[in-house]
This record gives sequence, structure tokens and C-alpha cells, in this order.
Amino acid sequence: MDQTIICRCEEVSLEDIQQTASRYNCSAREVKLRTRAGMGYCGGRTCRPAVDAVLEAVTGERAGHDIPLKVQPPVRPVSLSVLGGESR
Amino acid sequence: MTNRIVNHPVLGELTNQTSVTFTFDGQTYEGFEGDTIASALLANGIRQLRVHEGTGAPRAIYCNIGHCFECRVTVNDTQIVRACMTPIQQQMVIESGKMQPAPFKASPEEWPRTYAEFEKMNEHHKEGVPHG
Amino acid sequence: MVDVVIIGAGPAGLSAAIACRESNLDVLVIDEFPKPGGRLLGQLHQEPNGEWWNGIEETKALLAKAEKLNTMIQCEVSCHHLEKIEAGYKVHTNRGLFETKNVLLATGAAETAAPIPGWTLPGVMSIGAAQVMTNVHRVRVGKKGIVVGVNVLSAAIARELQLAGVELHSMALPVSNPVTKDHAHPGKVMEGLVRIAHLAPSAFLRFGSKFAKVDWVRNLAVKFYPKGGVKMWGMPIHIRKAIVQINGADQVESVTMCDITPEGEVIRGSEKTIAVDFVCIAGGLYPLTELASVIGCPFQYVEELGGHVPIHNEQMETPLEGLYVAGNITGIESAKVARAQGTLAGYSIAKQNDKIQQAMKEVKSIREAATIQFHPEIAAGRSKVEKAFHEYIVS
Repeated sequence: MDQTIICRCEEVSLEDIQQTASRYNCSAREVKLRTRAGMGYCGGRTCRPAVDAVLEAVTGERAGHDIPLKVQPPVRPVSLSVLGGESR
Repeated sequence: MTNRIVNHPVLGELTNQTSVTFTFDGQTYEGFEGDTIASALLANGIRQLRVHEGTGAPRAIYCNIGHCFECRVTVNDTQIVRACMTPIQQQMVIESGKMQPAPFKASPEEWPRTYAEFEKMNEHHKEGVPHG
Repeated sequence: MVDVVIIGAGPAGLSAAIACRESNLDVLVIDEFPKPGGRLLGQLHQEPNGEWWNGIEETKALLAKAEKLNTMIQCEVSCHHLEKIEAGYKVHTNRGLFETKNVLLATGAAETAAPIPGWTLPGVMSIGAAQVMTNVHRVRVGKKGIVVGVNVLSAAIARELQLAGVELHSMALPVSNPVTKDHAHPGKVMEGLVRIAHLAPSAFLRFGSKFAKVDWVRNLAVKFYPKGGVKMWGMPIHIRKAIVQINGADQVESVTMCDITPEGEVIRGSEKTIAVDFVCIAGGLYPLTELASVIGCPFQYVEELGGHVPIHNEQMETPLEGLYVAGNITGIESAKVARAQGTLAGYSIAKQNDKIQQAMKEVKSIREAATIQFHPEIAAGRSKVEKAFHEYIVS
């Protein structure tokens, strides 16, 4: 097993993802929710393809045409003052 | 700014730069107008911009184009500012990202189960404080 | 309300803005970076005809045209959400909301990670990060480094680092794991090298480019790959060595390099420590599509284009009315293709039917003439997306 960090934001290792995926036999979405891989500040921009590759290796689940974990807004961290902003 | 590439065979010489003074963790540095916080610091040989909030592991720029958020720092009291995307400005006060108490990361065994246990742990911590 | 908000001021976004302004549309270009130009800014390479492709000069030329047409370009504006409204779209940014009839997503690409042990240490950065530091900010990323990952992008940027006087020990592969797999496989990497052979003034690689299209020759080349690497611009390129670990306490101090088999397996006992103070990780590029996903644009997974791309037609329209795409968000290709796609998207938005046909031809001819190809089957990938668009519209 391998301690290489896959998700830098949440420091989730290759081993964490592999073990979670095989123990719970779960979908890409579930692995991400359980391990927090891809759930940090970067929103998965750095590790999303990496996490998908690990999951493909463990579960055999290939990337379909839909993006494995739907992107939710905001796609950049924003302060509450920005969210309350007025229209121009 | 020891790491500045002044001469370049194709891009030419770097001339007529305007200097900008700023502080990072209390130390004063100089960068050039047009620098980002990250490039101004790296020009001065400063790499580490923060530590991982939970583990304390040192971090620096990774993608340098705003995608990875690894370079987030505090600028003039505003948190989560990307050093790689933010132009350096005169008198800017920049603080590196620090470790934060993250109880949710601790394993359950380390948590006190009773108030007595909590007291005991508290005592234990006090003992570690040097007497002045 | 403006006619079009263009998200991304790279080669695609700027060209689109120019085409829209020529057609008198109200245009707003936004970009996160402090300077317009996107990833074009950092590019610097010599074309086979000897001329330099200088991203800073290319950007200046685009900006001069845009300025002449009074194009509004706002930098340091980050878009975090896109919303459909009756008359078009609402663009949510750190500088407030913008309402627009049309949106062009020209957000480019992001780098694919090639995670190896120690890659979170300060001094480890993506190859693109080093490019921007070197050519845009004119800052040396370190005294001596190594490039992990051998591909079109990393070879080009390694050369740029050399030009700026930054010393590189060599280029080598990442250690094999489920993420790095193809980037860690000497045979697969050799296939990619064959495609960039024309960039190298090296007899061995020129030999490679002529004959290595045949499988057995390529296999032999991998099997008998020189221990000292093959030199490109004087720098060794190793495809039978991998970096298994990046070492250091608070920052990069060294890397551990191992010999690997033609299949990429580490040969035990071959560990060598190499003193470097920076490491560039090169795992390739993938289209940055998050805003298309947020707005509900359908996707197609196309390996030839670098991953998931928003479905679009030959004229850069997505199935969502008023939503257009151009540049690397539609697939990983060179800046020249992105620029041509931007012009095409601009004419599409402006409904300049007479100019659209010409612009479509232009994209195709530039694609065919491209000296740097990220994937040999780009055209096939493009057809898949266009087919998906027409199927989606019918259903």
C-alpha cells in the first residue's frame, strides 16, 4: 500500500482511497465523501483526474461521459460579502 | 532579489523595474511592480507560504495559475488570498498560513470521554508549560 | 446587460473578443490573472523554420487589436458561478454580478497531477508553474532541478528553463502508480517522444521519428535505451529511470532515482540520490470545464482531447442557447488553434454567417499544420464531440 498523497488539500493518500474504495465497494462520489479527497479548497481541480484514476484501478469503474462528481458552485472560494453582492 | 532572471537571450534584459516594499511574516522585502506575491517572495528566495492547517506540513506554490490554492496567504487581514494571482503592492502586509486546531481530524481514542478525563488531560498539558 | 461575457483572456478569449468587437457587440472579457494573455504569456519556443514563438509578443499583438476596438478587459476577476436567466446568463464574480445575453467559456486547461511521494514539499511545482515564474515573472524557480514526466509540454518548458539559465539535471519518469501509470510506462512515453522528435537536434531522436512508428523498432529503442539517457539540447532525457521519492525536511533537497524495466517496474537496488532544489511535475493537461458543468452543459469523455469536454458543434456552440466554448476547454491543442477557435466563436456569437465558414476552415488548416501535437488523433476526437452534439440536439 502506498502513502503517496493524492489530494493535497485534505492530505488523502493513495492507500486511504484504495482501502475506502475496496472496503465499501462504493461509487466515485461515495469515496470522495468518505475520504474528503477532492473536497478541499481547490475544489478537486488538482486531484480530480487522479482520484478518478485510482478508482478506476480499484473498482474498474471507467470515467463515463458525465463528470464523476458534479461540480457545485461556487467554483472558487468566495467571501459572504461577495455572495451578497449587487447586480451591475 | 537574488533569484531574478535579469538577462534572457530571447526575452531580453529586465530593465526599468519599479521597486515595491512589503512585509511577509514581519520581515521586509522588495519586489518589482508587476510581480505577484508569490513571484516577489520567490525572487527573495522565500518558498514556504503556509503550513497545512491540519498537519503542519510546509507548502508553497504548486500550479502558479490560481487553480490549486496551495499558495493561500493572509493579505492585510484578508484570508485565503492566492499569492500566485495577487499583484504585490507597496506596504502590503502578508502573513503565511498557520496550523489550526482541527479536532475533527483527531482519532476518537484521543478524545476525553468524561469530564474527569478532560481535567486529567488539562492537568497534563499544564505540567508541560515551563514555569516563569 | 452586455452582449457577451468572455471568461478567460487567453488566446481564445482575446481573439473571440476581437471578432465580436469587429461586429460591434458589447463585450466584457474577464480573467483571474493580473495580466491578460492566459497561458500564452509563458510560451517561448523555436518553430522548425527557426522563428521564435514568443507568447509575450503574441499577446501584445492580440491586445493591440483588442484595444483599437475599445474592448473591455478586466483582470483579477474570478467567476465562481454561472446562472441561466430569461434573457441570457448571470455571471457571478468576486467583483459582482454581470448580466449578459451570451457567454463564451475560454477557461483553458488545468494540469493533470502525477503524484509521487514527497510532491507536497516546497520546491515541487507543476511544470506550468515553472514556465510562468521563468518567462512571465522572470524569477528563477531554483538553482538546479529535475523534470518528472516526459511529454510534449514538459520537453518544451524544460527547454525554456534552460534558455533562462536555469540548470536542469535531467528529465525522467514518475514512479508507477495507478495515477501516473501511462506517464510511468517507458513504451507509452516513447510513443509520445516520437511525436516531439522534430523538436530535437539529436540524431537518435531523428532516427526515432523516422522509424519508431513501427512497433518493433520502438520496442527495441525502449529495451536498449542508453543508460545515460538521450540528450535533447544537452540535457539527458531518461525513459528507463523513474523518480520514486522527493526528499527534504522543509523543502526539496534531493530526489531518489531508480532504473525501471521497459514496463515501468522499479529495479530494486538501483536507487541513486540526486541533489536538486526544485522538481517540476509534468502530468499533462486536461480541459478546465467546471463552469460548463455548473451551468448544466452536457459532456463527452474524449481521451484524444484530454478528458471531459463540453459538447459543442463545429461553430463552437454548446447545446445551451447563448453558451459558447473555445480554446483548451474544448480539447488540448496549441495556442494557435485556440486563437483560431476564438475567432470562430466570436463570429458565431455575432452571427456573421459569411465569416463563420472561413473561420472554420482556418481552424482546420491550423490544426493540420500544427508542429506541436498533444495527441495524434485530435481530428478523430473532434469528430466524436461534433457527433455527440448532433445526437444530443436530435434527442
